[in-house]
Amino acid sequence: MFFNPGIIALFISSLLISGMVLYASFYGALILRYWDIKSGSETQLNLERRTYLISTIISYACVFQLCSFFLFIYTADTLHPFFTGAMCAVGSLNVNKWGFPTVILKTITFLLAGLWLIINFTDNRGFDYPLIKVKYLLLLIITPLILAETIMQSNYFLGLNPEVITSCCGSLFTADTKGVASEIVSLPRSVMEIAFYGTMMGALVLGAVFYRTGKMGYGFSAAISVTFLISIASFISFISIYFYELPTHHCPFCILQKEYGYIGYFLYLLLLAGGLTGMGVGLLMPFRQMPSLKETLPAIQKHLTLISVICYLSFTAIATFQIIFSNLKM
Amino acid sequence: MIELQNIRKVFNEGLSSEYIALHDLTLAIAAHQVTVLKGPSGSGKTTLLSILGCMARPTAGRIVLAGREITSLPERFLTDIRRQTFGFIFQHYNLLKGISVIENVMLPAYPQGEPFSLLKKQAADLLKLFNLTHKAAAKVEWLSGGEAQRTAIARALVNQPEVIIADEPTAHLDTRLSREFMDIMRDFKAQGKTILIASHDPIVHESEVVDRVVQMRDGRIIDAGVI
Amino acid sequence: MIKSIEKQRNIIDFTLSSLWRRKGKNLALLVVYTLVVFSLGSVMFFTQALKNEAAIILRGAPEIIVQKLVAGRHELIPMASAQTIRAIRGVEAVKDRLWGYYYDPIGRANYTLMVPEGMDLKENEIIVGAGISRVRQVFRGNALLLRTYDGRPISLFIKGILSPESELLSSDLILISATGFRRLFGVSGDDATDLTVTVLNKKEISTIAAKIVDKLPDARAITRDEILRTYDAVFDWRAGIMIAILAGAVLAFLIFAWDKAAGLSGEERREIGILKAIGWETADILQMKFWEGTIVSLSSFFLGVILAYFHIFYASATLFEPVLKGWSILYPEFRLTPFISGYQIAILFFFTVIPYTVATIIPAWRAATIDPDVIMRT
Repeated sequence: MFFNPGIIALFISSLLISGMVLYASFYGALILRYWDIKSGSETQLNLERRTYLISTIISYACVFQLCSFFLFIYTADTLHPFFTGAMCAVGSLNVNKWGFPTVILKTITFLLAGLWLIINFTDNRGFDYPLIKVKYLLLLIITPLILAETIMQSNYFLGLNPEVITSCCGSLFTADTKGVASEIVSLPRSVMEIAFYGTMMGALVLGAVFYRTGKMGYGFSAAISVTFLISIASFISFISIYFYELPTHHCPFCILQKEYGYIGYFLYLLLLAGGLTGMGVGLLMPFRQMPSLKETLPAIQKHLTLISVICYLSFTAIATFQIIFSNLKM
Repeated sequence: MIELQNIRKVFNEGLSSEYIALHDLTLAIAAHQVTVLKGPSGSGKTTLLSILGCMARPTAGRIVLAGREITSLPERFLTDIRRQTFGFIFQHYNLLKGISVIENVMLPAYPQGEPFSLLKKQAADLLKLFNLTHKAAAKVEWLSGGEAQRTAIARALVNQPEVIIADEPTAHLDTRLSREFMDIMRDFKAQGKTILIASHDPIVHESEVVDRVVQMRDGRIIDAGVI
Repeated sequence: MIKSIEKQRNIIDFTLSSLWRRKGKNLALLVVYTLVVFSLGSVMFFTQALKNEAAIILRGAPEIIVQKLVAGRHELIPMASAQTIRAIRGVEAVKDRLWGYYYDPIGRANYTLMVPEGMDLKENEIIVGAGISRVRQVFRGNALLLRTYDGRPISLFIKGILSPESELLSSDLILISATGFRRLFGVSGDDATDLTVTVLNKKEISTIAAKIVDKLPDARAITRDEILRTYDAVFDWRAGIMIAILAGAVLAFLIFAWDKAAGLSGEERREIGILKAIGWETADILQMKFWEGTIVSLSSFFLGVILAYFHIFYASATLFEPVLKGWSILYPEFRLTPFISGYQIAILFFFTVIPYTVATIIPAWRAATIDPDVIMRT
């Protein structure tokens, strides 16, 4: 096992976050059981006081989870010299079967925690805590996922064996090998380009429609979710090569390295933020008619739509800019 | 203006130290009037005042403020309403030690989100009204009794509330300052404000400014007074 | 939007004055917090700087080193093995190396002796490192008296002293001619300490290393990459151990922080009660507590990092000296090349600010949920 500071830091933070959400879930369960806004009893007053604590805890957990996501990838990257065949984070993550699932689970838990915060924000705007049950049910779903992620991350680090020969992104993200990554890469370029720009335009247009008329909320949200996945696939498929200026380099993690000005972080942040806010719009749609939210919810959704559209637009702009002005001409 | 229906307030419910502060109270406070709550200590005046002023939620019953039911409002909304509707003057003034007079006056308005400079100006105007401009930067520990009282009153006014609530305002004052206090209340009434005072001081409840005296004992109203 | 910015500005204003009003307690917290960041930061900067130095130096290391092993121990290798290796396809050149250790009872230290490539030293001439010069009090033009393998005295003439900049590596080094070396240690002309191999195609290093071991079964072939990785792993491991040791200190700090946050004095409790009574809501108080924590954390963090930086890169890690020096007599005077990265800062953040924040969440919340009517009831 490796014993470097980065790994210790990740262990500590994962344990802390797990502890925090477990604690929050315990009280969340109490709230689900005993909450009654109409009552003025001391139990109810105590529960109302507790919700402040839980929102604070989850807010911090969400921020820490995002930080730990980036730190995890970066740490995997610094470990690559120890594994034969590894050139970047992809190689390190491939050493055992826990690496990639941990990354995926970290992304999912971050998105879910972000959605929780969006619901929490909306709930606080309603004068009778209208979404309180929804909120804490969601929390009970998030907690086991975070615990699973902590275990997966531990298994990954404990199972790091420097003798294993792993594959680098060069061999993983090519068309010849088996696996999802190569499926993405082997799709013909034009198909991916159409898919990317098509879904992006669709999402942005629906966003504009929703912003102005309040219709097609579900459509917009669905479009954003699809575009999220397609953008990642597109990045691997054809956008990355323009950043690396190498027609065979498709890796999604190398872009986080210093050589590329750390632009990877910015791009992924745009995608995550845009995806999160877009999904949030869809999540809030069922509650539009609730009496205490009737006035405030549409405004919140409009703000979320704006953020989502700006993020995705920026992402597309940067990617397109790089494609046009890169030294690589295909 | 403020209607209380069947209000009950219980502390430590279910425990051996259970204490019922208010028993099934019904009361309506009229606007633009000076109402005094009179009663010995332990009669529930302070608890009633805190419920009237949206500082506490009743264990049972309903509260209607200016036509809107506020009984089950979460703290966030209740506090917002309270900040804008009520101005409080406490028995011990409860000014923050270690900060200046003008900062003390500005404090209740911080969460409103007004620009700091605007707030400062409003506070300065209030201090001028109460002849405290020369003490604006002074620490509250250095104020005389009368100056501290006027600072507390100025603070209660910073959010331009419709209702002034005072809890035993004259408890630590001499006769002169007590009468001065009632004079200030007369001015407020003339401006159209509603005033609620809890006091057992005769200077207060026998003052001609007062429109109605509500007598309390053991958490119940024993004389609702003449409206 | 503007309103909420103004509101934060107002709250921050109050938070600053509130922190100042309790400067004794907050200063104590700041000092301890800064110390924790300083200790952890020093460890991390130090190990990273050493890793960097090692990497830079090892860039000049030979691609493959071949050593003979007898019963698991490193032994002199016959020069004839060099021929065997030269015959392997892909090998560019094979050179023999002479180096070894000499224990000096007068200086009570171990010196490293090496025959340098490309330097023309006469049989009796040596160049010594600054540490040796200090310990034996010998300088350019002096003679250094050593004993040969069979107990006879040998006088070596000091041609020069190695530069102070290279002290980290060369403090205990003596550069000597091949003839002088063989005379001092009794190593015959048929043997060498080990062999270095350069390879034509750099991608083939591992393959050729495997072939060498195949042809010379009693030898081991160490590649440069392996050395680099081992150094990296060892430094990381050492850093990890030191941080684990400091974990005790961090824990104590967290308990201290919790205590400070939870132990509201009567005065603080009264203040919050007043704030709630005059119209501040629980969320507002939580925000105030958040800013309190942020201001304290950021100040301590910056101060700790800056102090650690100065400690390692300008004061040469003086506080670590007793730990590092150990039994070493020839402790080098060195200045490490400054190096700081976002990654290290991020890790430091994870070790200090995040646990501190978590430790103070519940105390802050307890403070914020004081009932507004508490002030009226007392």
